[in-house]
Amino acid sequence: MNPRWGYWLIGPFLLGFTLLAGSQFMFLKASFFADLGFGKTSATLDFSNYVRVATEPYFLRTLWLTTYISAIVAAVCIVVGFPIAHVLARLRSRWTTVLLSAIVLTSFVTIVIQIFGLIIIFRGDGPVNRMLLAAGIVEQPFPLIGSVGGVVVGLVYSAFGFAVMLMYSVARTIPVSLDEAAAIHGATRLRIFARIILPLSLPGLIVGFLTVFNLCMGAFTSAALLGGGRILTLPVLIQRTMLLDVKYGMAGALAAVLLVSVIALNLASVVILKRFRAARMVVS
Amino acid sequence: MTAGHLAPQPAPGPRRQESRLSQLAGRVPLYKAITVAYFATVFVLLLAPLAVVIGSSFSAPASEGVSMSYVQFPPERLTLKWYREIPAAHYHALALSFGLALCVALASCVVGVPAALGLVRGRFPGKALVGAILRAPLQIPHVVIGIAFLQLYHALGELSGSHLQGTLFGLFLGHLFLATPFVIGSVGAVLQRFNPRLEEAAFMLGASRWRTLRRVTLPVLMPGIFSGGLYAFIVSFTDVPVALFLAASGRATFPVELFYSMEQDFNPSALASATLVTFFALILLVVTQRIIGVDQLLRSGSK
Repeated sequence: MNPRWGYWLIGPFLLGFTLLAGSQFMFLKASFFADLGFGKTSATLDFSNYVRVATEPYFLRTLWLTTYISAIVAAVCIVVGFPIAHVLARLRSRWTTVLLSAIVLTSFVTIVIQIFGLIIIFRGDGPVNRMLLAAGIVEQPFPLIGSVGGVVVGLVYSAFGFAVMLMYSVARTIPVSLDEAAAIHGATRLRIFARIILPLSLPGLIVGFLTVFNLCMGAFTSAALLGGGRILTLPVLIQRTMLLDVKYGMAGALAAVLLVSVIALNLASVVILKRFRAARMVVS
Repeated sequence: MTAGHLAPQPAPGPRRQESRLSQLAGRVPLYKAITVAYFATVFVLLLAPLAVVIGSSFSAPASEGVSMSYVQFPPERLTLKWYREIPAAHYHALALSFGLALCVALASCVVGVPAALGLVRGRFPGKALVGAILRAPLQIPHVVIGIAFLQLYHALGELSGSHLQGTLFGLFLGHLFLATPFVIGSVGAVLQRFNPRLEEAAFMLGASRWRTLRRVTLPVLMPGIFSGGLYAFIVSFTDVPVALFLAASGRATFPVELFYSMEQDFNPSALASATLVTFFALILLVVTQRIIGVDQLLRSGSK
């Protein structure tokens, strides 16, 4: 019995390859033609769009801002989410399912709805700002829309559930017997965490950081809504260049820069994981 | 557990052990208290936006105004006013989103299940490359997918005069591209744990190849197909950036409709329709828990 399973791939592969190659080729091709305005592009092929992206401070600042925001968000998601993921992976109670469901729920609901809620919470005369003002933490109400802090908050909400699910699947691969062995030998919980759990989770955490970082580099919705047209990250700038300014060439070049940087980071995380595997630091 | 083992031991042993145990016991409540407090804080923060949206959707306006700053939270008076005022456009968008997501989920299973079977079981040169190409959409930021498909449709339009931009089919293709790798991933994960002996046994006992596939392979793959299809549904149902590029302005999907309503003229009835969608997601979650379990969903979702 040896059915030729490979043939099953022909249909899906043709469809996937056509869509991938066709779409990626088209926008990359467009990125090599300068914009003439009103959606028209010049007839000659050149690198002017890429030269502009690489030299104009405006684009460089956008790229830096996007990187900076993504790094903060990824760090927050990993640091805050890891204890949650770790405890959930060890917890044997009815609560596990309830808590996991709560996290899954936030990814079942479009982020637009959650941002509605965030805007109401952080309104100028809203509960949070009144509290912050009363406590003297801020002088003026914290503006959620149009500030870097707001974009960071929005992105944390859009990536947190994913980050926890990712780390949860990593945390489950660490056998409980290791904790028990250490506990029997008298290690405290803190020591178990620092000497066993953390080192064994490190590869997962690094890959998790890179994955969330990547996700944020490409995240559009919350950055667009909370940036308020003032804080423009790369994906928001791409959408505006394409749909508002109708500059297909420039939008293509920016999209190509985003695509290349994201893929490079993904490859880096694959390489890192391989290194750790080679050093036998990953369980299973 | 340990106390029982320790009981028959000589006198000095248990005393030392006991003291260590009681030390541990003394520490556990503190550890537990910190954990519970931490979990409570994070989950309250995590769910607060949804709770606030649900709460404010029932909140009567303090004064006649429709901007976001007039939403009263916590609500002082309850009303169903906003539910009565949900514009027809939202219901249309909701119906469109639901239908689209359902089609995307079904189609991505039709494409993704054979692809996963081929990728896990096939033996041919270049398999790694084929797998990488089929999984590639996961690597591409959604904005880039949106712009790339829009350009593709423009080019197709110039070539053949067919207009895919702004059509439902064009949007469907974009979402299918986005969602299929999830089905391939989750079905592939189940396939890798699959015991081929089951199929051999069925085959030996005289089942035809097709019957084996239908009666043995597919039932075993069902949890993977279900969670893959669910992921595909959710990806399509919550997507903004791809639909922003590919949907026609008059016939937007629900998230895009909400996106515009926030960017342009906000009306609290958007909170009401958002609440309806949140409850729908909750129902979907409960159904998922009943059928395969949330844990299984997460297990097959991780790559």
